[in-house]
Amino acid sequence: MESEVFGASSSAAIVAHELKGPLSLSRQLALSLELENSLADAREIGRQIAATSERALRQVEDLTRVARLDDALFEMEPVNPRIVCDEVVAELWKMFRFNRRELKIDYRNKQRLVVANRQLLYSVVYNFCLNAMNYGEEELPSLVAVYDKQGKIRIDVRDYGPAVPTKVWREIKNGLVKKPVDIAMRPGSSGLGLYIAAKFANYMRGDFGLVRHRDGTSFYVDLPISGQLSLV
Amino acid sequence: MIYIIEDDRGWENYYRRILKDYDLKVFHDGVAAISMMDDAVPELVILDILLTGPTGFAVLNEMRSYPELAKVPVLIVTSVAMKNELAEQYGVAGVLDKGKMTPQELLEAVQEALA
Repeated sequence: MESEVFGASSSAAIVAHELKGPLSLSRQLALSLELENSLADAREIGRQIAATSERALRQVEDLTRVARLDDALFEMEPVNPRIVCDEVVAELWKMFRFNRRELKIDYRNKQRLVVANRQLLYSVVYNFCLNAMNYGEEELPSLVAVYDKQGKIRIDVRDYGPAVPTKVWREIKNGLVKKPVDIAMRPGSSGLGLYIAAKFANYMRGDFGLVRHRDGTSFYVDLPISGQLSLV
Repeated sequence: MIYIIEDDRGWENYYRRILKDYDLKVFHDGVAAISMMDDAVPELVILDILLTGPTGFAVLNEMRSYPELAKVPVLIVTSVAMKNELAEQYGVAGVLDKGKMTPQELLEAVQEALA
């Protein structure tokens, strides 16, 4: 269906479409300010414009980082995944609220550091959360979880979207994600955010994958535990 | 009653704001909207193309297959660049580009479709 809509479904077209969404909405909201008489409503629109623009900016930053991964500019360091997740949730809670969704945290392990790049890990969690926002329900909050998993730390984000096809699940499991359309497995999703997350996870030597549930999917990254003691 | 089939909550909020003088019902996927049309036929459907679940084209095809829904005007509002011929092929009341339209144009298109 994606190819029906995009024609020759190139990665460039997908990136352009992904960026057009928030930019178009920001423009519409800005234009709608002229029709608004209430100051409180105008302020609310202003906040929504800011949140929508920040989302587009982050996508641009992530795409720039993907292009620069080969330059090996991103150093690996001990990172506290809980702090990263806290920061992502702090940034995204407004976006979730605008979309009438909820984002919650579930930390199940004792506090430990992982070996990662902080910026890239932030983007992985951010893109997992944005993906989950598209497939959540008002009564079912998206859940960011951090816990021990077979000698590593797993960070996963649970959504309640349509089932991921087995073919796509196998491709992700076998590390065959080469372009966004490889994981554009659910209608309404170009796969761009998850493609970015997969690239960053791979760069950090983390394992990117997904767990299929009866009513949704958890996307995860498993990262090695740092030998360094927790800094907090 | 206008049915809006749009899975992005940001756009849903926008529609609710701009079309606040109309009786709206918002659906986040086409399946829910089509099943609701069994009970109440809308006067107008505002339809996105890239949706969670069946695409807007699939929703249109489904609507056109039922005599009682075939003549319901449909206004496509999408980020996907669409050729006019494609819109004509599906017999829609209009196509608005989310990146180019203005709130005023949306209001006018809705008024025209309902006229």
